[in-house]
Order: sequence, then structure tokens, then C-alpha cells
Amino acid sequence: MKQLRYFAVGLLLVLGFSTIVLADDFSHIREVLHRIDEQSRFDDTDLASVLTVITEDPEKGLEKMVVRQFRRDDGERFLLLIQEPSVQKGQGYLLEGDNLWFYDPSSRKFAHTSMKESFQGSDARNADFSQWSYSSSYKIVDYSDGTLGKFEVYIIDLEAVDDTVPYPYVKLWVTKGTNLVLRAEEYSLTKRLMRSALFPNYAKVGSGVIPTQMIFIDELVKGKKTQITISEISTNKLPDHVFTKAYVERVSR
Amino acid sequence: MSMILKVASRNILRQKKRSFLLAGAIAFGMFVITMINALTGGVVENIRVNFSHALGGHIFVSGREYTDHGSVIQRIRNEDQLTALLEENGAVIESVTKRSQALPTLIFGSKQTMHLVYGVDFEEEEKLLESLVVTDGSLANVSRHNSLILPGPIGDRLGVQPGETILVRLETLTGQQNVGEFMVEAFIEDQERFGLSAAYANRDYLNSLIGLGEDEYQSLNMFLTDMDEIDKLGATFRTALGVPAERDQSKFQEISEDEAMETFLSNVRTEDITPWEGTRYRVTTLNQIMEPVEAMVYVLNKVGLIIFVILLVITAVGITNTFRMILVERTKEIGTMRAFGMQQETVKYIFLMEALLLSLAGGVAGVGVTAIVAFVLGKIEFTTLPAMQFFLNQGHITFSISLGSVVLNLVIVLVMSLIAAYWPARAAAKLSPIKALSSHA
Repeated sequence: MKQLRYFAVGLLLVLGFSTIVLADDFSHIREVLHRIDEQSRFDDTDLASVLTVITEDPEKGLEKMVVRQFRRDDGERFLLLIQEPSVQKGQGYLLEGDNLWFYDPSSRKFAHTSMKESFQGSDARNADFSQWSYSSSYKIVDYSDGTLGKFEVYIIDLEAVDDTVPYPYVKLWVTKGTNLVLRAEEYSLTKRLMRSALFPNYAKVGSGVIPTQMIFIDELVKGKKTQITISEISTNKLPDHVFTKAYVERVSR
Repeated sequence: MSMILKVASRNILRQKKRSFLLAGAIAFGMFVITMINALTGGVVENIRVNFSHALGGHIFVSGREYTDHGSVIQRIRNEDQLTALLEENGAVIESVTKRSQALPTLIFGSKQTMHLVYGVDFEEEEKLLESLVVTDGSLANVSRHNSLILPGPIGDRLGVQPGETILVRLETLTGQQNVGEFMVEAFIEDQERFGLSAAYANRDYLNSLIGLGEDEYQSLNMFLTDMDEIDKLGATFRTALGVPAERDQSKFQEISEDEAMETFLSNVRTEDITPWEGTRYRVTTLNQIMEPVEAMVYVLNKVGLIIFVILLVITAVGITNTFRMILVERTKEIGTMRAFGMQQETVKYIFLMEALLLSLAGGVAGVGVTAIVAFVLGKIEFTTLPAMQFFLNQGHITFSISLGSVVLNLVIVLVMSLIAAYWPARAAAKLSPIKALSSHA
């Protein structure tokens, strides 16, 4: 009986120790995820930039789109205004907290849309134009050390904590020390690779960083990919009325 | 009376050729209207049947749930209430099918297209399988878990062949991305112009991709033993499931635009904001879906009626002229009969009886010819016209001749003929026997 008690106590100690060790293993990765999210978030400043979206579609060919972006992360707001091509000029996406609206100047109406939706048929999703939230939306399943090109990286396997994010499983390649996501693979619920994202260039903006080049590869449709280049980045204070429907309507005329 | 009938019959037979042409004109008019009515009736019946097979029933119950994340999803999982209702109304329900659906992107190589996919249990959907017109491939292996039946144009767009596998990108009910692999079993005739262009897959597999459990589904569809019971049973289900009653059309018209907008906005607000527990049901019937088709057929029948009336008017003018001619030809005969004591009314009735017999013979002949033509056309199989299959019953034209409309059209023909013959008949009755006998006609 006494032996059994010792065995049980020993087992509990081993299990407890293992848990602490495992927790410690993931804790610094959790910290990495927190840093990624923090770096992508601009609470103290507004952000304006120009996005050049080039989509390569095997059926439609090459499509170029120029989009002006305004972001105010404090208050979860952004505005995307399409400048080119001329047939789509004036279309816009306005994020107001939890609500994302799409404005079409031809019908002069706002329609509710979702951050999970594809952006204008490209391989980018509306959520790709907002700050990242890996630490709150995903839990760490596993990680390993590796290299990507010349960079030492963590390769982190993530699983969504609930069904509010579009991709249930994500694998990240994150540089050690600088916590920059260089590559992301996004998987379906059936764990099939759906999209690869590459972030080869970053720019330091204030205390954060912003990828200045994003490449999204559709892993299901052969030959389909989208490249987004971000330029003319500005952190100047934006007027409050920029993030209103009235402004979208006015500038879209 | 028998004398009038006898004389009228004899008069008709005296001028066989003229009587034949007159009755033939009436028969042609009767043939046209009966044929149009029978054809449209048959087409409506076939469309109703084909619609019901494609949609999987006559009455459709769909369920919606409000999720913890504030979104509305289409799902039925608690069947107790529905099961009880199905048992209560079992006498008029022939069979039940359960379906789920998704609007995925179908991908083959570098090509992709979005298309509606119904998740069905092929074992309980015999009627659907019977109604599908296969243009390529076979339905022999549809019970395979990842089988997919595709409309032909979608297969062409993707460049896929039966037996090949395509990828399907879709979202779960809560918006998560998912991918499945489907084996294309067959191409079917597309019914896009009726809004029925859909692909069909096994429900269990589709459910697993959109995040529904094995026993869950999105709509419960019922085939009834008698299609006349559709509206009644639909109302029963609406009441029992707490579905708001359909608005009275007359009341709807009385509502002003502002009131309508306010009602619409309040509904939107309610749906957006007010969460609910359990399942909210929606009940739709085949009759509601068929309303636009029936409106089209109604217009077609009206056009047929106008053609019929025009033909009748032309025939009536012909009858009037013919009887005026008969009057001239028989003036002496009428004078003789009048001289022997025949009453004015009797002369008139002989004329009217002639018109009545002619139109009756023409009308009946018209219906008879319609029946023969319908029988012959109904035997021909139109398999070379796949685009027409939705109007046909297993490749055959169906004619639905309604006894009521035939009798009504016949009555119209008879009345029209009597009216047309009335004035010559009255003129014949008013002839003076002396003048008639001394005439040179």
C-alpha cells in the first residue's frame, strides 16, 4: 500500500514536471506570437499607405489594382479605397469595429461583408490588411527550429482556438530575435494546404513593422498568386471623418 | 322538336361540302384552343413534377440557428417537433428527403468556378435520379462517398471528365475554410434558366465539409401523395412550427412604401440583433416556387384564348354569310312550308338547329382531332432535344386535357354559332309566304 502511495506521488511529480517543462517550451513561443501581434499593431499612430495588388490568374491573366489604405488600429478601423483600375475606382472597404462594409459607387450602397472574404477575387483576404492576432486566435500545437534561406527561424504549428478565423490551422516561419513572419502556410479544416503567404520585405514604422511585400499563393488553383506591394507609408494623423461612410461616399463620386 | 331536328339534319346533309367546310372551320378553332390548353397544362404538370424531383419534394422546411458568435446558420438537428408533425400527417406524405447545401468553388487544375451543390442521400432520392438527364458518365456509382454529379456546362467550364477528381473549396457554416475532393460521376442536363442548376453530392460527405454532423441537415423536403394538399399541409407546418403566416396579398397592397420600408428595416434589425434559442423554421411550397411559371402559362393560355376568339369571330362571320345564302336559296321552300302552316318560330328554330348541329359536330371533331394528335405526339420520344427535357415527361410531351375547359370552349362555340345564325334565322322566319312563293330565287 505504501509502495503504491509512493508510486502515485512519483507519477504526479513526473507529470507535473513534464507539464511545467512543456509549458516553458511553449511560453517563449507564445511570447514570440505576442511580439508578432504587437509589432503589427499601431495603437499610437494612424497609418496610410498605397497598395499595389497584382494578381496572376491562369484564366483571367494579370490584373493590377491600386488601393489607398488608411488604418487606425486604436478603434479597429480601416479604409481601403480602390484607385485603379478605372472601372472599379471608388469602391471601398470600411471597417468599423466588428463591421466591415463594402461600398459600390455604381449602386451607391454599402453592403455588409466579412474579414474572412477574399479581397476582390485576389488571393488576399480582407483580414490581411488589418493587424495580426495570432496570439489570441490560435494556440500553439508544436514548434521546431529551422532555417529559411539565410534566416534562423522558429517553425510554429498553430491551431485556431475557435471558428472565428478563416483558417483552422496555420504554420509560421518566424525569424529568431526580430520576430518577423517570413512565411505562413494556411490549412483547411481537413488539413489541406490552401494558401502560402510570403513576407520577404518589412519596413520599420515607429515601434512596429509592416510587410512591404506580401505574396499569397493559391495552393489549390495552379498558377494563381497575388503580390501586394506597400508604398508611400505615412504615420501622419488622419482626420476622424476618414473612417466614416460619408467620407467614402464623398471621395467615390 | 324531332321534326325540327330531322329537317335541320336533312338540310345539313343536302349541302355536304358546304357543311363540311363550315364545321371544319369550327373544328380548327376548337383544335387550336384545346391543343394550347392541353399542351400548357401538360407542360405545367411536367415542370411541377421535374421541379419537385430536382428540389427533392413538394414542401420544404429549412431551419436556422443563432450561434454563440452572433451569426445565423442554416441547420436542423433537433428533429422531435418535425418527427411528430411528420407522423401526424403521415397519411398525405409519400416520402421525405433531407438535404444540405453549399456554394463552393469547384477547382480542376488552373480552372475554377462557383456552383451550388446539394448534399443528398442518393438512396432516398430515387425520384431525383430518375429525373436527371445524364449527358455523359453514369449514375451507377453515385453511392460512393465523394461522388459528384455535375451540370454539363460546369464540367465543360472546368475541362473535367467523368471519373476525374476535382477539388472543392468551401466554407463551413461558421465561415472556416475547407477543402474536399470529389469524384465526378456524371454530367447532367443543366436547368439554369429555371434557377435549378445544381450539382449533387453525398450528404454525409458534404456535411463533414461544411461542419454539419452526420444526422444533421439544412432542409427537410416532403413528397405528398396528392399535390392538391400542398397548400393545406404547408399551412399546417407553418402553424405548428411557429412560422409567421404568409401575408395576405390584398393587405400587402394597402401598405404604403414608407410602411413597407419600416417593416423591412424592423425585420432586418430583428434578424441582426435579436438572438434566439433553438431552431427557427421556414416553410416553402412548390406552389410558391411555381408561381412565375404558372403566371407565364396563364399568359400563354390567354393568348390562346384570344386566337380562339379571333378564329370564332371569323367563323361566325362565315356562318352568318352562309345562312344568309341558305336563306336566299330556300326562300321558295320556306314559303311552301309556311303556306302549309309552319309557324314563324319553327322556321327560326330549324335555322338555329342547323347552326347548333354544325358547331357541335365541328367542336366535337376538333376535340377528337386534338386527342388523336396528342396521342401520336405523346408517343414520340424527344431524346435529341436535351434542352426540352424539363418540359417533358421522360422525353415525352404530355397533354393534359381538362374536361371543364373543353366543355366551356364547346359552349362558347355553340353560343357563338347560335348568335351568328340568329339574324338569318329571324329573317327567314319573317318571310311572307306569298312573297317567298313568288320570288325567283
